[in-house]
Amino acid sequence: MDIQLKRGLLDVCVLAAIKDKDSYGYQIIKDMKPYLSLSESTLYTILKRLETAGMLTVRSAEHDGRLRKYYHITDSGLRRIEEFKEDWKEILSIHRFVVKEEENE
Amino acid sequence: MNKQDFLAQLCSGLHGLPREDVEERLNFYSEMIDDRMEDGLSEVEAVAEIGNVCEIISQILAETPLSKIVKEKIKPKSPVKPWVVVLLILGFPLWFPIMIAVVAIILSVYIVVWSVIISLWAVFASFIVGTLGGAFSSVYFAMCGRALTSLSMLAVGLLCAGSAIFIFFACLAVTKGVIWLTKKTAVGFKHMLIGKETV
Repeated sequence: MDIQLKRGLLDVCVLAAIKDKDSYGYQIIKDMKPYLSLSESTLYTILKRLETAGMLTVRSAEHDGRLRKYYHITDSGLRRIEEFKEDWKEILSIHRFVVKEEENE
Repeated sequence: MNKQDFLAQLCSGLHGLPREDVEERLNFYSEMIDDRMEDGLSEVEAVAEIGNVCEIISQILAETPLSKIVKEKIKPKSPVKPWVVVLLILGFPLWFPIMIAVVAIILSVYIVVWSVIISLWAVFASFIVGTLGGAFSSVYFAMCGRALTSLSMLAVGLLCAGSAIFIFFACLAVTKGVIWLTKKTAVGFKHMLIGKETV
């Protein structure tokens, strides 16, 4: 898959994983597992990118005697998900057009 | 491999990165391993699931901009001593021209490599011009009623067109090759900067 496209998709996937409630690294990976496998280093890069872009915030909370980082989606992150849904409609309609053209050939 | 070994290897592999970055990454992986163990995995299994340390280090290095590594590299580890400053100032007439020379050499290597590409594309462009010239003069001589000259001009045009198509693929391949080589060199350079200290 095109690398830029994939990067954009993964960003939205991670945002979706923390949309309903704050989550932490391993939970995000587990939640995404049925849909796609994500390595730790890739997740780290995505989280860092989203944090820099202001789409999520990070807080450390104590869990079982150690610190765990929780990720919280911001308004800008929520907007990104909505934008993605809109973009996807466009992509689907382009896909329909491409498939139809191939059938006509 | 247990958690401590994993983190120690990761730490030494990322030696050349800024300290805060390395610490953040170590905390991240440590949390990931702990969470897996909490989920019922043994320590060794949890570490194995995270993946190969060397691959992780390579991926991190590939993603880190070269400027960040160089900046960290030239940052003094301990406060600069006065005599070092004196030496730097006294040695300025010596090290400054050398530095300029090194930069100039690197720059000229770059220019040489790219001029090969530019000249290849220039050959391609000249064949295109030849094609157009052949076509135009063929039409022109045909209108003048000189059939033989017109025909030979058409032949020249076609010859140029054929060469243009041929050289286009050669240009494309060389350009891609050079871009690939540039990327490889950058990654190799990063490994060289960091590798030195881990050995």
